[in-house]
Amino acid sequence: MKRRSLVMAAAAAPWAGGAAAQGCPALAGLSGVGEINLVGNSFRAITHIARQAERCTQPGLKVSFKLTPNARIEIEQAFASAGRSPFDGAVVSKGVFSSLYARGQLAPMTKLVDKHRQRWRLEEPMLVRVDGEVMAIAFMQNTQCLYYRADLLARHGLQVPATYADMVQAASVLKAREPSLSFPIAQAYAKGSDVANDFINVLASCGGRMFERGSAEPAFHGAAGVQAVAAMRSLMPHMTPNALASNSEDVGNLFQQGKSALGVLWASSASRMDDPASSQVVGKFQLAAAPAAVAGGPSSSHLWWDAVVMPGNAQRGADAAARQEAAFHVLMQGLSAESMRAGNDLAIWVRSGWRPGRGGNAVALAQAAGAREWPSEPFLSLAHGEIGKVLPEALTGERAVQSVLDGAAAAYRKSALEKGYAKA
Amino acid sequence: MKLRSFLGFSLPSAALMLLLLALPMVMTAWLSTRNCALDLQLATVVQTGPFGASEVTTQRARLDAAGRPVEMCRFVGTDYYRKLLGLDAQANAPGSDQNEFFGALRFTLLYVAATTPFVLAGGLALALAMNRVTQRLKGLFIAASLLPFIITPVVGALSIKWMFRDNGLVPHLLSGMGIELFWMAQAWSAQLLVVLYGVWHTLPFAFIVFYAGLQGVPQDSLESATLDGANAWQKLRYVTLPHLAPLVVFVTLIHLMDAYRVFEPVIVLTQGAFTTSVQVLTYQVLLLEDNPYKASAAAVLTIVGIGVLLIPLLRKTWREQRRGY
Repeated sequence: MKRRSLVMAAAAAPWAGGAAAQGCPALAGLSGVGEINLVGNSFRAITHIARQAERCTQPGLKVSFKLTPNARIEIEQAFASAGRSPFDGAVVSKGVFSSLYARGQLAPMTKLVDKHRQRWRLEEPMLVRVDGEVMAIAFMQNTQCLYYRADLLARHGLQVPATYADMVQAASVLKAREPSLSFPIAQAYAKGSDVANDFINVLASCGGRMFERGSAEPAFHGAAGVQAVAAMRSLMPHMTPNALASNSEDVGNLFQQGKSALGVLWASSASRMDDPASSQVVGKFQLAAAPAAVAGGPSSSHLWWDAVVMPGNAQRGADAAARQEAAFHVLMQGLSAESMRAGNDLAIWVRSGWRPGRGGNAVALAQAAGAREWPSEPFLSLAHGEIGKVLPEALTGERAVQSVLDGAAAAYRKSALEKGYAKA
Repeated sequence: MKLRSFLGFSLPSAALMLLLLALPMVMTAWLSTRNCALDLQLATVVQTGPFGASEVTTQRARLDAAGRPVEMCRFVGTDYYRKLLGLDAQANAPGSDQNEFFGALRFTLLYVAATTPFVLAGGLALALAMNRVTQRLKGLFIAASLLPFIITPVVGALSIKWMFRDNGLVPHLLSGMGIELFWMAQAWSAQLLVVLYGVWHTLPFAFIVFYAGLQGVPQDSLESATLDGANAWQKLRYVTLPHLAPLVVFVTLIHLMDAYRVFEPVIVLTQGAFTTSVQVLTYQVLLLEDNPYKASAAAVLTIVGIGVLLIPLLRKTWREQRRGY
């Protein structure tokens, strides 16, 4: 379907007389570039950007944007390749950016940005600079925030929970008085990535760190780590017994069906709650900053961004600069103000002029409540993975919390050694 | 057969098998003894972006003259195997990989053992039943029975998950009967769910093979059995089943190999809660640890596991071949 529309667009262009150039004015008159290949996750917002970038297809230039649920693996392999990267650019999350940057696999975009800043109206907050060099261009933000049923809290005279203890208390009241709520709290505790993500959020709220400052040495298995697991466990009596297999999609489903009333979930899911086709609670959910795990602590959440990057191994040969510039323009077409307007409700855009929709203020709320950026250590994903594998055993009470965290720290150390992040 | 024609027939496929099967396996084994890593140094940098400026810890890779990161590779021998099997000294730390592999192996073998008899018996029963259906309905029934096998595994697993998760059809029906069951909340039901999916998904394969086999059961033998006064059970036991025996071996062989590599239902149905399989473990090493070398070691262990599982069947086949069946 996608392929065909591309081929048709390419075939139609000569007769349409500049139709393609209209879709992508920066590349009008450019020829001989051949193919520009891009890659990203198949999320709705990134799919939108892909469609916008593909509008740059014209005679002599074919833009293919590969959308896949496992983009991270493909991107890491392509950018690490000793040969030429099959992709000229990619959309990555902050986490993937950190690991690509640390390995020196990204091409700086400073010169291109300086040259074309006006044309694409690139704003400073969009530019991800490391020691001054532009290494990525951010376009959307996300965070995890508290979803709450405003109608139910009001009916029972409950405040919006500001701490985990508040949340547990509100859940007890709701459980007693609202028989339709099977599980007052729903949160993505699925084994693996989801549960580890929650742990990292709660750990930050408990004042803990994932790693010793300025080092790859793990620090998540200290007192704050144990406290974080205790906070997570305190919610579980009010969650579905299936929690350890419940991902964001399942949590969204519980909210939509009116079975759960409170929980921390991605802000980008907000529009789902108001979709009359799948939601029975249209207009009833409100968003607030994720509660603090301990009174007085910051919100147990992090701030995220997604950005486009270019690989250090994409271009070789005489036309390298021209190709890179063409790829840059194609990416910028996807991030343009025009593209943002067309996809206004698909994301929390970084660009100014965006009209916040449902959940649009979530990032600002999280920031105000003290949430920090998702940790940038490139070895975070290793620790994240190890925690996700064993944390359920601590949450079910199968094993002692300290022993589970120690085990995850030991396993992390081992894989960090193997990857060269830590030295023996 | 002349040697030339024998080679003419067998060489192309032998060469293809060498190229597509043996060679990758040797490569995998070779990779599993290596480790490659970048030469990284810790660094603190100032990063600015949508949320302002902050000092962050990162790593810097040593670059070569062309500006590409330098990768250092070395031979690690059986390091990964010892780590995966929990034989290295460090593995005795609580919560390390020590039990991970054996935990995954335990569930994988449970899955293999639990699905195989149901796939065989269910497939046979369905084939026998289908054989009695009138010709007009056969096409429809066969198409319907094959559906679970045709559906993409991830899609199939997702639709099963939606039936079993909170407020899904099955818990809803069960609660109508007074049974409150959370399928992914404890080991036995989570494992049962994956096994149920496995049987549902693979049974059609056994069915269609057995059904094809039933079309070739010699009618004259069945008729003489009838004349000898055999009842339906005796005809099945002494005529039909012996005829299907090679197919039973074939289906078992294929299913054992398939089942040992169980992956999609684990990832989709339970996300690995209470049900990590050997294949999921390999995937995790590759994805979470981002270590293709260690993942190769896990893959080699999987191949060894399948090999061990198949020994009895292969011995049986080998003996039959030698006896000239």
